[in-house]
Amino acid sequence: MGITDVPILSMLRTRLQWGQERTRVLAENIANSDTPNFQARDLAPLKFDETAQRAPSLVSNVSLVRTEDGHIAGTMGSGSGFESKTNGNYDVRPTGNAVNLEQEMMKVAANQMDYQAVTAIYTRSLSLFKTALGKR
Amino acid sequence: MDFFKTLAIAASGLRAQSGRMRIISENIANADSTPSSPGADPYRRKIPTFEAEFDRALDVNVVELGKVQTDTSSFRLKYEPGHPSADANGNVKYPNVNPLLEMTDMREAQRSYEANINVITATRRMIQRTIDILKA
Repeated sequence: MGITDVPILSMLRTRLQWGQERTRVLAENIANSDTPNFQARDLAPLKFDETAQRAPSLVSNVSLVRTEDGHIAGTMGSGSGFESKTNGNYDVRPTGNAVNLEQEMMKVAANQMDYQAVTAIYTRSLSLFKTALGKR
Repeated sequence: MDFFKTLAIAASGLRAQSGRMRIISENIANADSTPSSPGADPYRRKIPTFEAEFDRALDVNVVELGKVQTDTSSFRLKYEPGHPSADANGNVKYPNVNPLLEMTDMREAQRSYEANINVITATRRMIQRTIDILKA
């Protein structure tokens, strides 16, 4: 059993990927906050009951065969596993732009805090293994 | 890595907003540029436009400064018979630049620029957090 098969680590990794992906989507929204006819987008919230079931197969897929195929189809992120949705319930400016800059900034800050929390838990999980190995 | 895409998007936002600032400063600097010959047209106000553009290399939507349009509203007429650019009736055409409008535009550009800077700061912090996992 590889270290990547450990459920908590793979779950945390999925969460980190989701956080990365969300930052990308939010950056797109903010960069296009003055573009006419641009709609703000956001990622659908991560549901762990689904990903937890998907995670073991996802992890076991990572094998030598997969790496030979090239990294493009690869294991991590690139938006395939996460769905983005548009939120159309906010005010639209006369130019057709529907980005609420304040709201997007709040999301970026919240996303960053979540990300920090997840990396902290990841660190703790790793130190759990170190304890088991008797290093501390 | 997704974070570098995020940085590229935010950088495109910075580039677009600084281009907008360039056009605004051009307008303000030329607010009193009178025509070079009698009866000719003075400086015409320029309007920056933004476009969401799909970056194929990065596989994301970045923002680009579109074609610079000109303001088609009429010029300010001032009665100054002694002016070298005055027409037969003694009127001089002044540019259709409204300094108040330019100032508001400038504030908006500044605000959008800051928002993009904040995205970069947040992303950098998240990258740092990821690297910190190694240190633990």
